[in-house]
Amino acid sequence: MDQKRSNVTICNDFLLLRTLKTIPPGPLVILLIAVLSSATIAFWPSEEREGLVFWTFAQHHARMYHPAIQDWNERAATSDAEPIQMFVLSMGALNRRTQSGMWAQTATSDLVEIEQPSVARFMAGPVEEVGFYDLTDLLRDEGIYNQLNEPSFAPWTSRGRIFGLPHDVHPVLLCYRADLVEEAGIDVSKIKTWDDFEEAMRPLVNNTDGDGETDRYALGLWYTSARDVEALLLQAGGGTFNAQGESIIASDANTHVIARMVRWCVGPNRIAIDAPEFSPSGNELKLRGSVVAALMPDWLAGVWMNDLSALKGKLKLMPLPAWEEGGRRTSVMGGTMIAIPKTTRDFDSAWAFAKELYLSPVLAQKLFESNHIISPKVGLWGEPYYAVKEPYFSDQQSGMMYIDQAPNVPFRTSSPFHQVAMQQIMDAASALKAYAEANDAYEIETLMPEAKRLLESAEQRIEQEMSRNVFIAGDTMGGADDE
Amino acid sequence: MSSTTARQYPAWVPYFFLLPFLGVFLVFIAYPMLLSATMAFQQNAGPGVSEPVGLKNFTWMVQDPAFWIAVKNTTIFAAASVFIQLPAALGLALLLNSDKIKGRGLWRMIFFAPVLVGLPFVAILAGLIFEKNTGLLNVTLNALFGFDQEFPWLQEFVMPALIVAAFWMYVGFNMIYFLAALQNVNKDLLEAAQVDGANAWQRFRNVTIPAIKPVAAFVVLLSLIGSFQLFELPYLMLNESAGPENRGLTLVMYLYQQGFDRGDLGYASAVGWVLAVALFAFAIVQSVISKRSEADA
Repeated sequence: MDQKRSNVTICNDFLLLRTLKTIPPGPLVILLIAVLSSATIAFWPSEEREGLVFWTFAQHHARMYHPAIQDWNERAATSDAEPIQMFVLSMGALNRRTQSGMWAQTATSDLVEIEQPSVARFMAGPVEEVGFYDLTDLLRDEGIYNQLNEPSFAPWTSRGRIFGLPHDVHPVLLCYRADLVEEAGIDVSKIKTWDDFEEAMRPLVNNTDGDGETDRYALGLWYTSARDVEALLLQAGGGTFNAQGESIIASDANTHVIARMVRWCVGPNRIAIDAPEFSPSGNELKLRGSVVAALMPDWLAGVWMNDLSALKGKLKLMPLPAWEEGGRRTSVMGGTMIAIPKTTRDFDSAWAFAKELYLSPVLAQKLFESNHIISPKVGLWGEPYYAVKEPYFSDQQSGMMYIDQAPNVPFRTSSPFHQVAMQQIMDAASALKAYAEANDAYEIETLMPEAKRLLESAEQRIEQEMSRNVFIAGDTMGGADDE
Repeated sequence: MSSTTARQYPAWVPYFFLLPFLGVFLVFIAYPMLLSATMAFQQNAGPGVSEPVGLKNFTWMVQDPAFWIAVKNTTIFAAASVFIQLPAALGLALLLNSDKIKGRGLWRMIFFAPVLVGLPFVAILAGLIFEKNTGLLNVTLNALFGFDQEFPWLQEFVMPALIVAAFWMYVGFNMIYFLAALQNVNKDLLEAAQVDGANAWQRFRNVTIPAIKPVAAFVVLLSLIGSFQLFELPYLMLNESAGPENRGLTLVMYLYQQGFDRGDLGYASAVGWVLAVALFAFAIVQSVISKRSEADA
């Protein structure tokens, strides 16, 4: 009995050992693997990030930036500046990783390019909680604000504070099939307004292959394309929010635009076809000649030059027809900024690099020559490369044509409610199209009252949503500087 | 021998082996559930910025037309899954369970193949097929019947397009469940019924259906839960949007939009809890119905 007690005491002293001995081999192996793998992970030397990390979403941006980064890194080797490592991420991945990093307050990138449609998600919440550095004072103190085209700052401005350096201006022109238009004897110089455009181009809307179905349309745009709708709303002086952050969803300009867009897309006076960008079906329609004209921001001109090279020499550009006599002949579509997340480990180096990259004259030239994008730096607009005759656009000086319209691009909001407000406008356009078909009402005058009613309802909805937001209700959310 | 060995374990040993599961459960299930239950009563701008709002998330949800569109769309999809997809899967299973069909293995593989392709690919392919002007469906229908090649499936008829795409994906998957159940139907009973003069329909109704009922109930529940979790298919088919007038908006897409596009994780949590309670209620109802029918039998 005493012997037994003594054994228990000894065993208690080696409880773990005794327990391990009693565990069958299977669980013991599992336990061993768990312990070993945990230890391996815990002690695995983590790879030290060298320099600053820069995320971009476009392969062609990366190709363009590569020499500038190489040059920066060579100089960084002999100075205090941090070298740059660039990574190309898909747009979705870049947005989600940046957002999750901001939410979790973990490091993501030191510099990041954000595209305009994605920016609203980063501006939600109190302005001091935005995950990017506020660059407003630096831009003003260093004189950069005055060097750049002012409207280019708007999408990156929230409640008067600027969170990014603009990459572009993205004015919009109208691109048309010069071969078809000129063959039909249409003089585009007489087209000043959208009314003129409709009247002049209507003869081109017809059946070209003899099967009785219309297969050529004057315009390649559609009421469900947010990009097209937004560009036209902005051109007309409408949009979602004005510079003071007030809703203009139910404005007369918006009402007129969606009524006219619906008329363009359905009914006996239809002149438009849905030929989406970046899609095989849209590209085929353009190559087939089903699209006579399309909205053409500078970046899209670069895309067409690469993706639709067969149209070289068949196209020309002209200012957008205005919504009223003497009105704005351009709009704006898309945009990119470079921003510095608050988790960067070296703001000074990141800021120095951002300025060098985006304000560099060398890069501005490359930006135009490789992607047809004009720089927001006003001082460069006189450079000779912008005046080169472009064979793709029938030897027009396309760069100069974009620059001529650049100062006139409309204001854009960066309200966190912009996307949802745009969605409401799109839904109103869609409902108006259904109304037109149901009532056989295709004239602008007959569509306007219903368009107004739908937009007022959309505006009411957005105002309710804004008033629900406890962080920014009553705040000025627009892009305009409060000062 | 084994019972003697078992007695030699100290009392804490089982708990020691439960620790990894408990750790994972507490960190990745219990804690997030607790946190999301708390967040459902807050408004957020990301996880770091929150304000308590009481029941306002739930009252707004009831008022938000988009929420009800999502409920309607999800319910339509679930109903189509249960009343169109599952009967078709059962029909296919009956057909491919018959000895009279030649090359049954090959047919089974063909019908099951979309599952192997994976949902994202099915969504992308379906998006291309339903494309207007150049989509395979419109081009084929136009060639055969002069159908309008511009017919906008993904703008005007989003739910039917989603239902067809899901049908293509899941009919073969559910067929496998039914096939397995049919192969376990007691052949003696079927033969006895045949000897007693029961025709094919009577044998199916009185022998086969009762035999496959537990599997059918399970498949219905799985389909309902899967339908209420519908996200990737519309998200990818409609280019990360919900389509015009939210015609393709589902409950999980609504949750995603609120939580991740707008950053209001509190509201998204509230939607998540409503969805969880709805699914729990479905499971309870289904369980009660199953038990009742078992008791009746």
